[in-house]
Amino acid sequence: MSLELATHLIDIIGAFLLITMIIILEAGDLYRAIYTMAVQSIFIALAGAVLGAATHNTDLWVIAGLTLVVKVLVLPWLLLRVIHRMRIHHKIDPLIPVTTTLAIAAAIVMLAFYLSSSLVLLKQVITGNALPIGIALMLIGILVMMSRRTALMQMVGLFAAENGIFFTAMAISQGMPLIIEIGVTLDVILAALVMGVIILRVKSSIGSDIADLDELKG
Amino acid sequence: MSIGGLWIMLGAYGAGAAVSILGSRWGNATRVLGHVALLIGALAGLALAIQRLTGGALQTAIHVELPHLFPFANLVLTLDGLSAFFLLVVSIVTIAAAIYGPAYLKAHSGSSPAVEVLGINIFVASMALVLCAGDAMTFLLAWEGMTLASYVLVVSEGKKSNTRAGLIYMIMAHAGTALLMVVFLTLAVHAGSFDFAAMRTAAAALSGTERSVLFFLALVGLGAKAGIVPLHIWLPQAHPAAPSHASALMSGVMLKVAIYGILRLGLDLLAPATGPLPPSWGWIVLVLGAISAIIGVLYALQQHDLKRLLAFHSVENVGIILMGVGMAMLLTHRGGAADALAALGLAAALLHTLNHAAFKGLLFLCAGVVQTATHILNMEELGGLARRMPWTAWLFLIGAVAISALPPLNGFVSEWMTFQTLILASAYLRSGSGLVVIAVAAALALTGGLAAACFVKAFGVTFLGRPRSTHAAEAVEGAPSMLAGMVLLATVCVMIGIMPGYAMVLLDSPVMRLLGGVGPSQLITARGPLVLLASANPGTGTAVSMTAAAVLFGAVALVAWGIVVWPRALARRREPTWTCGMAPQSRFDYTATAFAKPLRFIFALLYQPKRTVRKKTGSTPYVLSQLHWQSDVVDLALVHFYNHVQAGVTRVANAIRQRSTGRIHDYIGFVLITLLVTLLVFGRG
Repeated sequence: MSLELATHLIDIIGAFLLITMIIILEAGDLYRAIYTMAVQSIFIALAGAVLGAATHNTDLWVIAGLTLVVKVLVLPWLLLRVIHRMRIHHKIDPLIPVTTTLAIAAAIVMLAFYLSSSLVLLKQVITGNALPIGIALMLIGILVMMSRRTALMQMVGLFAAENGIFFTAMAISQGMPLIIEIGVTLDVILAALVMGVIILRVKSSIGSDIADLDELKG
Repeated sequence: MSIGGLWIMLGAYGAGAAVSILGSRWGNATRVLGHVALLIGALAGLALAIQRLTGGALQTAIHVELPHLFPFANLVLTLDGLSAFFLLVVSIVTIAAAIYGPAYLKAHSGSSPAVEVLGINIFVASMALVLCAGDAMTFLLAWEGMTLASYVLVVSEGKKSNTRAGLIYMIMAHAGTALLMVVFLTLAVHAGSFDFAAMRTAAAALSGTERSVLFFLALVGLGAKAGIVPLHIWLPQAHPAAPSHASALMSGVMLKVAIYGILRLGLDLLAPATGPLPPSWGWIVLVLGAISAIIGVLYALQQHDLKRLLAFHSVENVGIILMGVGMAMLLTHRGGAADALAALGLAAALLHTLNHAAFKGLLFLCAGVVQTATHILNMEELGGLARRMPWTAWLFLIGAVAISALPPLNGFVSEWMTFQTLILASAYLRSGSGLVVIAVAAALALTGGLAAACFVKAFGVTFLGRPRSTHAAEAVEGAPSMLAGMVLLATVCVMIGIMPGYAMVLLDSPVMRLLGGVGPSQLITARGPLVLLASANPGTGTAVSMTAAAVLFGAVALVAWGIVVWPRALARRREPTWTCGMAPQSRFDYTATAFAKPLRFIFALLYQPKRTVRKKTGSTPYVLSQLHWQSDVVDLALVHFYNHVQAGVTRVANAIRQRSTGRIHDYIGFVLITLLVTLLVFGRG
């Protein structure tokens, strides 16, 4: 694959990543958010594969495969299982109105592009505009965590932010070293498991959501 | 052999750690196999160290590349003379601990020794890796591994007090590591690499102030691990909490790894390319050493828990080692006689490192046998153990004589060398600085005397007299394998004591590696195994014959025995001690508290003793029906510094808790805002 084609493809994938992120942000329904996150992860895996094909770096292929298995299949399955076990209503109730968060997200995207003009030194030619998109994804992911009430939505936000970090790493150094990437992936799975267990436990023992834990403050 | 030996050592420790997977189901197999692996690893380490130390002083270092784990640092193992000497120290004590361990754990941890086996193997492996590290990354990783594994050992028993001891240990150790990281990262920035070799080159270009700041940061960081006063508070709590053979390793060896760090950074990595070190380094290390020695032994005197007492003595001995290190730092590269004195001081420090590891290891193992036999460590409830446990008593006595720096055992040799260095140096320095050195020498002498007093107490109250509790009365001798481990260390104590000449050869390689110039075997003329002569200029100086001292001791003992026994043999009558008509009880014996009382009076300023006496009288005021007497001493560092720090931290934490909302979304919001602000401030370049 030629380098120009790779750059072009990664730019397109970046656009799709941003779109999926916006859909996650405005989603009013948990299922929709989770499926969108899975789709976003497919794009991340695609980006890894494209970069791997262009630079002949086999590590990136492994990472792309890992992303496909973990973030596209395992994590959404885990989240859906938690919803199923909890029998909760799958409406997302936002702490901050959706329109406001969308405005903040727009500001974040603009900020990311504005900053990236001064970060020219860092980014690589081959990954095009991946750097600002990665930064924007990460920040919007955290915005999702902050602005949505249900704990499951916070997990979705966390994984989306993780996708952003991965994309940023790809923009800067063609992805992190394999060992670190594997470590991060394991971390994500562990985080999902722990959070899932906590959500279920809290729900089953006190019948309320993580968001109500501030009542415990002493 | 060399590189192979390194892999065998690390592989054996790794296998030992892996054995713990067998877990509680095959408890016996775990215990035995885990310690066999430990033994194999330690033997390989010993062979490697001895081969390196006896193979000539100036051979090149062994260099091994480890797998490339991090994009920014190569992991390298380098074994030079200094590393090899400390590896020797680690290996000797580990061999004894590995022989001793299985029987001890069988008595203490029951059927599930997995945690202890895992902890001790990783602990020893990490120490070996710290010593062999050829770059800062490996050093820091192994250093953390050492802390974490020893923490696991401290809390392995699961008692509440141990958990607290572990917490304090963890806080102190991590604060120290944080400082070390600052030092290494600063050097790495200058060098552009984590390699020690590159750092050495980069450090040559540092300015004097930078160099000194980095050294003192490192000294505090490493001092927290070495137990330098006033950073010692974790030590007497954490060391006794671990299983005894692990205590022996923590107290006898882990502190030495910190000493290794001080030597590696102070005399190697941070040292200027040419010329002497800044004089402030040597003076501060020297004075800290003197303070640690005296404070350590004074607090040890007031301890009634056998293992706590031993732990405080480690503070003292680290102080003695630092005196030698301080002299070496002060005098090195000043030319002529000063260089020779520096070599002498460093040799004394290194030899004391080895000696302390041997006798402190021995004493901790003895304490472990006492604990196994009686389940008591409080001396006030022991007593009379010599009759029931003769082997342990004799071995403890050997350790006690060695730590009290009495000839003909090894403690004397190294303290005598330190003493010689101080005296010769005071003559060399003259005037004011000479006086300070003389004061340090006086401190060393006082330390030796107080240590002897402390061990008269420890040995006398624990092993002599009558048993003060049924546990002590029914004690039985330790298992043969435990005694074997102790005999090994006792042999090391005796051998270095009466044949110091052979030990000098081992010191050549590390001393010449650090200071250049001549090795100690030229300065300290040990004629065969017989005479020890120390001098800055060969041909002059003071000499002491260890063998003569040994013979003299034997002769004096023989004469004393003759004087006591001979006349009695003529007309022997056995009567109980006259006790004013009462039947003698064990309560009549000297207690540890009573023995230490005169010193509690003399050093009242330091101890600030508190005494509470509650009397209950019967029908008349002249008859006491009950008497409660309690006496406490304080640790000044604890009262005047750490308690305030703790109170401050608690206050701040409370204030934060009062003001925090407890809502998770707010906290995530903080993260987001922080990221945005950071990007805005630093991202615009």
